[in-house]
Amino acid sequence: MLPALVRKTWRDDRLALIGWAGGVAAFTAIYTSFYSQFQGAAELKQDALPQGMLDFLGIADMLSPAGYLQATIFSLVGPLLVLMCAITLTARTIARPEEDGGMELMLANPVSRATFAWQRVAAAGSALTGIAAIPGILLMIIVPWIGMDIPLSNVAAASAGLVALVWTFAGIAFLVGATTGKRAAVLATTGGLAVATYMANAIGGMLDGWHWVRWLSPFHYFIGTDPLHTGWHPAELLTLVLLGAATTTAGVLVFDRRDIGV
Amino acid sequence: MPARKARDDVGMTSDVALLTEDLTKFYGQRRGIEGLNLEVRAGEVVGFLGPNGAGKTTTIRLLLDFLRPTRGHATVLGLDPRKDKAALHRQIGYLPGELVFPGRDKAEDLLRFFAVARGDVAWSQVTEFAERLDLDLSRSVRTMSKGNKQKVGLVQAFMHRPAVLVLDEPTSGLDPLMQQEFLAMVRDASGAGQTVFMSSHVLAEVQQVADRVAIVRDGQLAAVERVESLGKRAVRAVEIHFDDPVDPAEFSVLPGVSDVVVSGPVLKCTVDGRIDPLIKAAARHEVVDMLSAEPDLEETFLSFYYHGEGAGDASRAGA
Repeated sequence: MLPALVRKTWRDDRLALIGWAGGVAAFTAIYTSFYSQFQGAAELKQDALPQGMLDFLGIADMLSPAGYLQATIFSLVGPLLVLMCAITLTARTIARPEEDGGMELMLANPVSRATFAWQRVAAAGSALTGIAAIPGILLMIIVPWIGMDIPLSNVAAASAGLVALVWTFAGIAFLVGATTGKRAAVLATTGGLAVATYMANAIGGMLDGWHWVRWLSPFHYFIGTDPLHTGWHPAELLTLVLLGAATTTAGVLVFDRRDIGV
Repeated sequence: MPARKARDDVGMTSDVALLTEDLTKFYGQRRGIEGLNLEVRAGEVVGFLGPNGAGKTTTIRLLLDFLRPTRGHATVLGLDPRKDKAALHRQIGYLPGELVFPGRDKAEDLLRFFAVARGDVAWSQVTEFAERLDLDLSRSVRTMSKGNKQKVGLVQAFMHRPAVLVLDEPTSGLDPLMQQEFLAMVRDASGAGQTVFMSSHVLAEVQQVADRVAIVRDGQLAAVERVESLGKRAVRAVEIHFDDPVDPAEFSVLPGVSDVVVSGPVLKCTVDGRIDPLIKAAARHEVVDMLSAEPDLEETFLSFYYHGEGAGDASRAGA
């Protein structure tokens, strides 16, 4: 049987979990199923608009299945959704209950501090993994169904990257929460870092002489390798997983050493 | 090595439930508690008294390992609050001073969580305490009144019959009837060999159940006293209504009587110690009414220690 605290954590978060899962699933399903209608319209636009405008809007690329999935699911809105979910849910592991005082009675149970922290992470992390995996699982069904011409293996690689990206930012959010015990600090720091590293990846790809900046961005390891065209990149995915593991472990160590609820 | 040491400590001091040695906690420059030396024997009920901000909650949170001492150390049942937390918390029942429950569960679901997390506490033990406190378990804890929340807090503290109960302001929010029931629960726990360490700022409630009281003020232990000796020190406010105006001089000379204010037939004063001289003096007049506030810590005991007379007693700490 799973530890009582893990089940309790899921139960307390269940409304948020259901809401996020529903939102991410609807987003994926709606965008992907527009693909066939969108293609016809895009071809008309391609004839009507000058090439420079098409390049600027990225529409030329949206004609290919890989380009379409990249633009809709994997570039901005998809990661934005799952990362918002990851950051807010991770803030609930320690920071929020510490701030509102509910953590004290959970910590009064016979578990060590570190065990408490790991169980909270395990509960939130497994739920987040499930939510971040939803786009990938749905695409495995929708892509063959509507006849998109793209290898499923490539879609799986991009989807795995999305999960790994969530682990990285959940780890960072957990570290901030375990260190400060402040919900606002978790949201501001991790959210700010997500925006900054997203920009770093985008700018690093556009400006000559700034390519190196991309290496500092988790988004580069997620989508910079262009998995929808090039498939699996284990080293990059592993980098994200290790980042998540390292920040989570650091968070547990810090939490084990500090005063609670001061 | 640490486990070995812990076992030795248990063997050595098995009759000591709580022990603090030079226990000190500073929050930056601000003092929480300083140099606390306290010993609570197994099976004892000890009241931990002091005004707000004196360091009671800091001490309790150090014992529970929510805070780490700046200096000194504490042991509970011979175990280290941090190293042996998991084993120790199975034997501690804790009621926080500011009670906030995790989640939005019904009281029943919340208590089931605690029952499983504490090592499968029999459900009958939960319902037994819930019935004693007349608590409806089918309601959501979020929507409960302060008093009902306090009952849930008490049930989760008592339900696994822990060796040590650490209760921070346990009666706050309880109506007088439930306060009496709580005191009965403390007596039963003590009778069963459980140790109770409870903080309060109301002397009267502690007086009814405690064997000893420890008094803190300004982050330091002012005194540890047996409860029997408290009554002699109790300073109470007394108000007597006479049929006719009285002369204040007649009362201000009485032993232990001070702050005499007379307005017409009404006499107000404070009495330190025995009330008998005042009663005898008042009996010479026609008495219409007499009011005597229950001596509470704020105006009696602490005023004694605040004025420094009790400072010397600090050396008796732990006696």
